[in-house]
Amino acid sequence: MSPELRSAATSDELSVIVRAEGLVKTYAGRRVVDQLSMSCAKGRILTLLGPNGAGKTTTLRMLYGLIEPDQGRVFYEGLELVKHRANIKRWVGVCTQDDTVDYDLSVVENLRVYAGYFRPKVESLETRIENLLQLFELQSYRDRSPRTLSGGYRQRLQLARSIVHSPRVLYLDEPTTGLDPSARVQVWELIHRLRGEGLSIILTTHYMEEAERLSDDLVVIDRGRSLSQGAPREVLGKLLGEHVVVVPPDSKARAEVEGWAERELEREPSVVLGELRIPLPAAKLAAFAAEFENAGFQVRPPNLDDLFLQLSKGSRSEQGLSLTSGEGRPT
Amino acid sequence: MTSMKFGLLEFADWRSLAVLRRNARVYLRNWRTAFFPPAMEPLVYFAAFGLGLSGYVDNLHWRGRALPYTTYVAPGLVAYAAFNTSFYEALYSSYVRMFYQKTWDGILGTQVELRHIVWGEVLWAGSRAFMNTSFVALALALVHALGLVHLRLEVLPLLPLLGVFAGWAFAAFGLIFTAVVPSIDHMNYPVFLIGIPIALLSNTYFPVPTHNPWVGAIAQLNPVFHLSETLRSLLVDGELGPSFLPWLLSTTAALLLFIASAQYLIHRRLLRK
Repeated sequence: MSPELRSAATSDELSVIVRAEGLVKTYAGRRVVDQLSMSCAKGRILTLLGPNGAGKTTTLRMLYGLIEPDQGRVFYEGLELVKHRANIKRWVGVCTQDDTVDYDLSVVENLRVYAGYFRPKVESLETRIENLLQLFELQSYRDRSPRTLSGGYRQRLQLARSIVHSPRVLYLDEPTTGLDPSARVQVWELIHRLRGEGLSIILTTHYMEEAERLSDDLVVIDRGRSLSQGAPREVLGKLLGEHVVVVPPDSKARAEVEGWAERELEREPSVVLGELRIPLPAAKLAAFAAEFENAGFQVRPPNLDDLFLQLSKGSRSEQGLSLTSGEGRPT
Repeated sequence: MTSMKFGLLEFADWRSLAVLRRNARVYLRNWRTAFFPPAMEPLVYFAAFGLGLSGYVDNLHWRGRALPYTTYVAPGLVAYAAFNTSFYEALYSSYVRMFYQKTWDGILGTQVELRHIVWGEVLWAGSRAFMNTSFVALALALVHALGLVHLRLEVLPLLPLLGVFAGWAFAAFGLIFTAVVPSIDHMNYPVFLIGIPIALLSNTYFPVPTHNPWVGAIAQLNPVFHLSETLRSLLVDGELGPSFLPWLLSTTAALLLFIASAQYLIHRRLLRK
C-alpha cells in the first residue's frame, strides 16, 4: 500500500481486511441483498453460508467489485472500494463459481496471461508460475490444454490462476461444487494451506462439511440478510440454541412431541427420514426432558446441517429465522 | 459507479492492451488456420467477380470516366476485407469468448474492467482487419504486376491504416449485436439482414444507383460505401478524394457511438443479472 493510501486507514481498520456496511442489491424489483453488513479479519477464512438464492454470490460480487451495490459501502483496510478501486483490485483474487479457465491457452499460458491483467506487474513472474505449478501439482500438465484435465485439476488451475498476482484477499465462489469427494478434499487442503500462508479468504458454499472444516468465521445469510456472524459454534448457539434433540421415527411419543413443539417453539422441527430434529436452548431442554423422559430421544450439539435445514425450511415457508431463542434476529 | 464508467478514450490503456495481447497470443497459436482462409476470401471474390465477370461486363463509369471492371472491383475488395474481418470477428469470436468460454467472466475478476474488454476486442478485430487488408494489398500488387489491373501502387501502404481504423468501427458495430443476441443461432439476423446488405450496397462489386434518393441515402449512411470510395480514389487516382472527409468523420462518430453502445449493452447483459 502506498504511504498516502496507508495514512487514510486507521490502525483498527487495518486488522480487518474487508468490511461491508449495509449492502443492498435489487434485481427486477426483488431485494437480493438487503442491508447486509459483515467483516473479514486478516489471515482468516470467512464463509458466507446460506441456501440457494440466499444472496451469497451477489454479496461476493459486490465485495470484490464486479457489481455495484445499490446502497452500502465496501472497505478494504479502511479504504473505500469505490474510491480506490484500481489499487484495491490489485489486492484481490477471484475464483468464480463458473469454470472460467481459458481453454484457448495451455495451463502455463493461463497463468502467464492472467498475470498480465494486473499492475504493478507480478515480480519474478516465471518463478512465481513455477512455484504455483508445483504447489498445485500441475507441472506435468503445464503445456497441455485445460480441456485434457479432470474437473479437479481444472479447479486447481483456476485456483492457481486466481492467486498468481499474490493477492491479499481471495474470493472463492462455491469452490468445490461439482467435484468428486477426493478432489474436494484436495481443494480443501490447498485452501487450508493458502490460509496458512497468510491469505485472507472469503468463500461461499452450501456444503456443510466444507463450511465446518474450513471456516474461522461464518456469515449466515438468508433472503439477502445477514442472520449472524461469528465463529461457527458461536453462530450455531446464537441461531439454534445449545442443543438438538433427536426423536427417532418409531418413537411412541412422536405425536406428543410434535404437539409440544408447536405450542412451545416458534419454528417447526426439521424432519430427516422421519427423524425429528429439534434445536433447543438449555432452558427449553430441561422442560422437554421433564415432559418426555421416556421418549427415547437423544441430545447432541447443533451442527451446520441443522442450521441449513432450518434456513431452507424458512425460505420455503416464508417464515423468518428469528429462531426460538429470539436471538437470531437479522443483524 | 466506477465499474460502469464508459471508456471512449481508453484504447491505449494497459488493460485494453492486455486483452488485445491475450487474443493475439491465441491467434498466433493457430495462425495458419486463423489467417489464410479469411484472408483468401477477397481474392476468391476477385477471381470470381473481377476476372470471371470482366469478360461480360463493359467498362464501368466512375466519377465521369470509364474504368475496367477489374480496376473498379479491386479497391472495393480491400474495403470488403476490412469490414468482413472485423465485423465477423466481433460477432462470432467475441460471442464465443463471452458466452461459451466465459473468458470475459474470468478477466472481470482482475483489474481489467468491462470497458477495457470491449476496447480490447475492438482493437483486436481492428488488428485482424489490418492483417487482412495488408494481405489483400499485397495480392493486388501481384495482380497489378501480372497486368490484370492498373493501380497506383505507391498508396498500398496506406490501405491497412485505413483498414484498421475502419475495422475498429465495424467491430464496435458487431459487438452491439454480440451484446443482444440471445444465442449464436440468432447471429443470422445481423449477418443476413445487416452485414451482407452493408457489404453489397457499398460500391464494392457494382456502383450503387445513388440517383435513387432512397438508395442514395442508405449508401451515404453506409461506412463501407465511403471506405470503398476513398480506397478507389487512392488506388485509381493516387489521392484521398472527396469521400475521405465524410468517411473519416462518419467512421469516427460511428466508432464512438458504437463503443459506448456496446459497453452499455454488454454491461447490461453480463453485470445486471
